[in-house]
Amino acid sequence: MANETIVEVRNLTTHYGEALVLDGVSMEVRRGEIVVILGGSGCGKSTLLKHMIGLLRPTSGEILLWGQDIARMDEDQLRPMLTRVGISFQSGGLFNSMTVGENVALPIKEKNPDIDRETLDMLVRIKLGLVGLSAAVNKTPGELSGGMKKRAGVARALALDPEILFLDEPSAGLDPIMAAGLDQLILNLRHLLGITVVVVTHELDSIKEIADTAVMLDKGRVIFNGRLDEALESDHPRVSQFFQRKPDAHIAPRNA
Amino acid sequence: MIRVEGDLTDQTGREMFAAAQGCIRRKACEITVDLSSVKNMDSLGGAWLGRLMANARLKKVNVEISGATGQAAELLDMLAPTLSAEPAPGTRRIGLFEDIGGTFLNALSEAREAFELVIEAVYWAVIGPLTGKGLRIENTLDEMHEMGVRAVGIVCLINFLLGLIIAMLSIAQVEPFGLGIYVATVVVIGFARELGAVMTAVVVSARSGAAIAAEMATMVVQEEIDSLRGMGLNPARFLVAPKLVAMIAVMPCLTVLAMFSGVAGGTLVGVVLLKISTNLWLQQTQTYLKAGDIAQGLIKCVVFAFVITLVGCHNGLRVKGGARGVGLATTRSVVMDIFFIIVADMIFAILFYFVFK
Repeated sequence: MANETIVEVRNLTTHYGEALVLDGVSMEVRRGEIVVILGGSGCGKSTLLKHMIGLLRPTSGEILLWGQDIARMDEDQLRPMLTRVGISFQSGGLFNSMTVGENVALPIKEKNPDIDRETLDMLVRIKLGLVGLSAAVNKTPGELSGGMKKRAGVARALALDPEILFLDEPSAGLDPIMAAGLDQLILNLRHLLGITVVVVTHELDSIKEIADTAVMLDKGRVIFNGRLDEALESDHPRVSQFFQRKPDAHIAPRNA
Repeated sequence: MIRVEGDLTDQTGREMFAAAQGCIRRKACEITVDLSSVKNMDSLGGAWLGRLMANARLKKVNVEISGATGQAAELLDMLAPTLSAEPAPGTRRIGLFEDIGGTFLNALSEAREAFELVIEAVYWAVIGPLTGKGLRIENTLDEMHEMGVRAVGIVCLINFLLGLIIAMLSIAQVEPFGLGIYVATVVVIGFARELGAVMTAVVVSARSGAAIAAEMATMVVQEEIDSLRGMGLNPARFLVAPKLVAMIAVMPCLTVLAMFSGVAGGTLVGVVLLKISTNLWLQQTQTYLKAGDIAQGLIKCVVFAFVITLVGCHNGLRVKGGARGVGLATTRSVVMDIFFIIVADMIFAILFYFVFK
C-alpha cells in the first residue's frame, strides 16, 4: 500500500466572487509522503489547502480524499472523513476561551466521550510534549507567543492520531531554532507514525529540509509538480526565481 | 513483570495499566514492562503507559521499560521527557484577602484609566479642534450617519409605542375622575423631561455603545491600536474624539424626535379612547409644556451621549484575550451604559427637584 494515493485533486477551479483563484489545479498526495505546496503570497496556496479538507467548495473539478469526492459531499458525509485528518491553520486557530490543554482535549473528548480524566490528561500531555509545550497545558492562548500558538495548533491537529496532517504556514514567524524543531517534528511524525503531511509554506530552508514532493503555484496555476531535487534545478523562470530568492523587477532597487 | 502482547493501543494499554495497579498498590515489587512483542503503538497506548509511570512515581515504585524495538522504541524515546516529567503546575488558588485586595486594586487602576480616557477624549474632541488641531471631519460625519440617521426609525418606533403605553396606563387611572384630558399633560411632560432622553439613550447604547466597544476591542486584539500608536497617532484623537463629537451631535436630535414620537403615540390613544378632538388634545399639550421641560431632556441626553461613547471606548480598549474577550467587553459595556444612564438620570432628578425647580 506504499503507493496508495490519499489525496487527489483533479482540474480544480475556484473563484472568490468574480476573482479566479485556482485555475485547473491537479495534484496528488501519496501515503507517507511530505508534500509542500509553495508559491508567492496570494497565489492560492491556502485556498487549495482549504479545498482539500472540504472547507471551501470549488467552482468545478474533483477533490478525492481516500478515493471519495469531497467536493460533492454534504457535511454529514464529510464529518467521519475529517476525524482522520489533522489541520493546523496559519494563526493556530486556537479557541481563546479555553486553556491550551482543553484545546487539545476537545477533539479527543468529542470522539471518545467515555475516556477517563487521567488518561485524557496524559494523552494531552503527550501531544503537547511532542511539540515541546507540555509546560503550557494550563495557559490560555492569549498568554502564548506566536510560535507557541502555532505549535499548540499542531498539537491539537495531532490529537486524533490523524493519517494525514495539513499544516498551513507552520513555521512562518518562528525563530530558526523553533522552525528547525518543527521540521524535525514533521519528519519524526512521518517516520514514527507514518503520517502523510501536506505543508503550505514559503520558507525555503524548511522546504529543502522536509519536502519529498513540491507543488508550486503561481497565479492559481500549477507551474511545477515533482520531486524536490528537480524543483531545485528547474529552469522554469518563476521556479528558479523562487528558489534563488530573486526579487521581481519592479521591486528591485534601481541602482543594484 | 508485565508483558504486552501485540500493539500497544487503548485496549492493551488498559490491561497493562490494570495489571500494574496491583503491583503498585502492594508497593512490593519493581515493575518491568516488557514491550518486546510490541511493534506499533499509538498515542492512547502511550497515555496508559504514562499514567502507569506517574502512579508508580507517586508510590516510589521503580518502573523499567524493556524490550521495545522498532517504531515503538523510537516513539518512546521521543516521549520519554514527557512521560517522566512531573505534571505541569495547576493554577494557584487565590485566598480571600488576596481576592478582595486584587479586586480593589483593579477597580482603582480601571478608574484611573477611565479618568485618563475622559481627559484625553475631552481634550481632543473640544479643546483640540478649538485650538486648530483638526478633528477628522469625514470620519465624524460617517459616525453621525451610523449612530444617528440609521437609528431614527427604531428610536421613533420605540418611543411611539411607549407613548401609547403611558397614555393607556394613565387614562385607566384618571378617567373615572373625569381628568382624561390631563393625560395629554402627563405624556408631554413625561417625554420632554424624562422618557425621550432615557429611552433614546437605552436604544443608542444597545446599538452604538455595543458597536463602539466591539470595534475598539477587535482593534486592540488585532494590534490595530498598537499600529496607530506606532505611527505616532493618538487613539483618543483618531478614534475616540470623532465618535464622541458625533454622538453628542446626534443624541439631542434623536431625543427631540423621540419626544415628538412619544407625544404622537399619546395623542393617538387619547383621541381614540377618550374621543377628544385632536385639536383640544394638542392645545392642552402645548399649554402645559414649558421650554424648561424640553431643556431638561436635552441636557440629560448630552450627558448620556458622553457616557455611552466613553464607556464603550473604555471597555473596548481594556479588552483581554481574543474572541471571548471582545464578547465580554461588549456585554460589560452595555450593562455599564444602562447602569450609568440610570444613575445619571437619578442625579438629575434630584437636582431638578431640589435645586432648579
